[in-house]
Amino acid sequence: MSGGELGGLLADAIDAATGDGAAYADARSVESQRQSLSVNGPTVETLDYGDSTGLGVRVLVAGAWGYAATSKLSRDDAVRAARTAVEIAHASATVTSAPVELVPEPAHQSEWSTPVKKDPLAVPLEDKLALLTDATREMGRRNEIRSARATMDVVKQQTSFLSSEGASIRQTIVHTGAGIEATAVADGEVQQRSYPGSFRGHLGAGGYELIEAMDLAGNAAQTADEAAALLVAPECPSRVTTVVLDGHQVMLQVHESVGHPTELDRVLGMEAAFAGTSFVGIEDLDRFHYGSEAVNITSDPTSPGGLGSYGFDDEGVEGRRADLIREGVLVGFQTSRETAAKVGAARSNGTMRAEGWENFPLIRMPNINLLPGEGSLDDLLADVDDGIFMATNKSWSIDDKRKNFQFGCEIAWEIKNGRLGRMLKDPRYTGITPVFWGSCDAVAGPEEWRMWGTPNCGKGQPGQTMRVGHGTSPARFRNVSTGVST
Amino acid sequence: MTRAEVRRAAEAVLDHPGADAVEVVIGAASSGVTRYAGSEIIQNIARDELQAFVRVVVGDRAASAATNQLDAGHMTTAAGAALEAARASLPDPDFPGLPSPAEVGEATPVGRWDDDTAAASPAQRAEAVKEIVAATAAGAAAGIYETGAHAWAVISSEGIDCFDAFTRCVMTCLADVGDATGWGDDSSHALSEVDAAGAARRAIAKAEASRGATDAEPGSYDVVLEPVAAGTLLDYLSYAGFGAKQMLEGESFFAERRGQGVADPSVTIVDDVRHPRSVGIGFDFEGLPRQRVAVIDGGVATGPVSDLRSARKLGEPPTGHSSGSTEFGAYAANIIMEPGHQDLEELIAGVEEGFLVTRFHYVNILDRPTTLLTGMTRDGTFRISGGEVAGPVRNFRFAQSVLEALANVRGVGRDLVALAPEFGSFGSTAAPALRVDGFHFASTTSH
Repeated sequence: MSGGELGGLLADAIDAATGDGAAYADARSVESQRQSLSVNGPTVETLDYGDSTGLGVRVLVAGAWGYAATSKLSRDDAVRAARTAVEIAHASATVTSAPVELVPEPAHQSEWSTPVKKDPLAVPLEDKLALLTDATREMGRRNEIRSARATMDVVKQQTSFLSSEGASIRQTIVHTGAGIEATAVADGEVQQRSYPGSFRGHLGAGGYELIEAMDLAGNAAQTADEAAALLVAPECPSRVTTVVLDGHQVMLQVHESVGHPTELDRVLGMEAAFAGTSFVGIEDLDRFHYGSEAVNITSDPTSPGGLGSYGFDDEGVEGRRADLIREGVLVGFQTSRETAAKVGAARSNGTMRAEGWENFPLIRMPNINLLPGEGSLDDLLADVDDGIFMATNKSWSIDDKRKNFQFGCEIAWEIKNGRLGRMLKDPRYTGITPVFWGSCDAVAGPEEWRMWGTPNCGKGQPGQTMRVGHGTSPARFRNVSTGVST
Repeated sequence: MTRAEVRRAAEAVLDHPGADAVEVVIGAASSGVTRYAGSEIIQNIARDELQAFVRVVVGDRAASAATNQLDAGHMTTAAGAALEAARASLPDPDFPGLPSPAEVGEATPVGRWDDDTAAASPAQRAEAVKEIVAATAAGAAAGIYETGAHAWAVISSEGIDCFDAFTRCVMTCLADVGDATGWGDDSSHALSEVDAAGAARRAIAKAEASRGATDAEPGSYDVVLEPVAAGTLLDYLSYAGFGAKQMLEGESFFAERRGQGVADPSVTIVDDVRHPRSVGIGFDFEGLPRQRVAVIDGGVATGPVSDLRSARKLGEPPTGHSSGSTEFGAYAANIIMEPGHQDLEELIAGVEEGFLVTRFHYVNILDRPTTLLTGMTRDGTFRISGGEVAGPVRNFRFAQSVLEALANVRGVGRDLVALAPEFGSFGSTAAPALRVDGFHFASTTSH
């Protein structure tokens, strides 16, 4: 079905919804194509292509929301979805206390696309498999490696959005990524190293050029060597010490302990039963010391190359940068048109996104970026007499208010007199969010800063998985509890 | 989605030119989720969705392509894409081929279906939320009331022809009284069996009882885990180690401990989709009959669940637990822990000094072979003193091996509680309350 035909269905849906009494309606179609490849040693374990097309209609009736979605793409089905959404909104209105209000947003008529140099869907499959198997072959040369896996993922998504306010937006977003993972096993112990990041590598906004720049095969031997070396490395000790985190781990630290707690729907209790709430409240804005003066964090869909880089969110709000933490002080939240109205903000900062056509948009992190400080990673290490450098996220857990956290990394090294020493296995650290960010005394500079991607952020009911971005560089934290007593 | 629609869609590609064999897996769902917070409905959706996965085999190579349009044109395009990918793929000597009914048997449907649940309207869901809100009037309520109908089919050129459907109603309720929260939930394949108001009353009672929580020192304690908490540990245990692929790759506890005692003799954990508390389908994603498997039987690690590929490597008959992903392997989707003989009060009475845990939050695996997990308690954690509940405490972070916890089970509850999956609609868990000695809490939080 062409974009024009889909646009016609969306217009029909909005007409049907407003004709049935909706005070506001928007309709969104999503056409997605994906490729997923996974190679384990010489074996192709996953070779999946997928296409999905559908539309969803969101309406406000009597001040309450209704949403209906369908993969059937006739005019009758689009109109039926709109009428179902209105019926649902009427039901919602029977259990509401105050009507939903939306802050104003210009009715944008626009198109936006991810800049792509090399179409990842057009690259021959043989080339992709060769790139992956070159890497797995290299990793498999070590006897300790039980599993040598390489993965590649491509998603191309075209979204059309129309609203009863006159918005008409079409976006094409392309996410591409790959990674390798070596798993070493001996005597009942399992250790793993990944490159360039864990959990299917690194994904970003862009084309196949992102994968070509990774040099997976060139990094395979070191990845496997480190996995094997971890089997005989000493355990990361339990102590209170200075910790330096690499950019990948800082990414997840930002994600869990800043990104989620500053989602305004969580702050307002809308996610209480599932993902949880937040330890910060509206009253903390412009007052609460979230971290040290070294900590500056933004919500920024306009920063390029991230999984949260887009022109418009899924309720037609133009993406724009918003400061969340400035010199350690909480100064902003991620908002939607509804939640911005609840706190008296003039405008949403454009963070409402939905997984596919079938889901109601939620506040989702775009690119939540820790702004760079100064100096290199070596400079950060140089100022540590005795500490631990941890790299590549392995596990995460945080309480329902996003305060008590524990993270695990794949690998660590001692820091002695400003230099890296022995390798350590099973590094973990724990902390309380504002105490931890308050102990951040240095963030590495622009030369170390890069955009990372988290492709598996879960939120909402029904559960939605979102791809979100985080620009980070390595950072240093003092007086951190490492190890976990068991 | 009817069986006739599925067959019509599949027949368009089962003899796709150039393919040696073709398998079509189709999943469809029609569901409604009414979501409430602050005691009002905040999101409310209905959706119809389906996905057809066409797997094409050429020699010892296979690839799949998915579409969400069942017309012959889209199905043929998907088959063509899968064929092209399979031809470009690499030889796979371990590929077990597509099974035939003569080889693996024919699956019969479980048929866990309820017409009223399938037909539930937005107004019915809103009425249920009204009951929940009324029952929690002393605080603010948040959660979902969901009804849905789900159908799955596997049809292949080798004669596999499976179809099964189930319905499910799920409600959750978090009651918030300002300085404390409490939890209640219920689920069943039939909405008539879901007591939304009852679960809401449990949530508000627990929230009220949680007011004025005090600090407690981290450490190892005897605990009573309510069924929701116990179910979470079982889910992660299954994810960490019940699959044969994880065993073959050395990552599961089965790799080193199969045939050994790993838990207290009172612990038996099975995967059994036909158990009355399970909700699911009678076959796996290769079309094999889903067998009942006692994964841990009387405390002994008897064996993992398997798919065709891992079963062949093990030299054992497949158990019918393909997850549909060669990358992940087999998955035990319908976990049942066999109940014991004590009610919750009797379990609590057995603890001199310890804690009662309502549920866990944000659990993650720290070490797969040892099944070491971490996570938080939430929505009702209480001190037990002298065999009685002695007041609320602030939440703990735990760091605990599930297998060690199961080895330290000192009591198993008699009530088996059905739990819906936290994420997604496939699978089910049914767990009793457990009394566990020496459960390790590593730290605390501020609420």
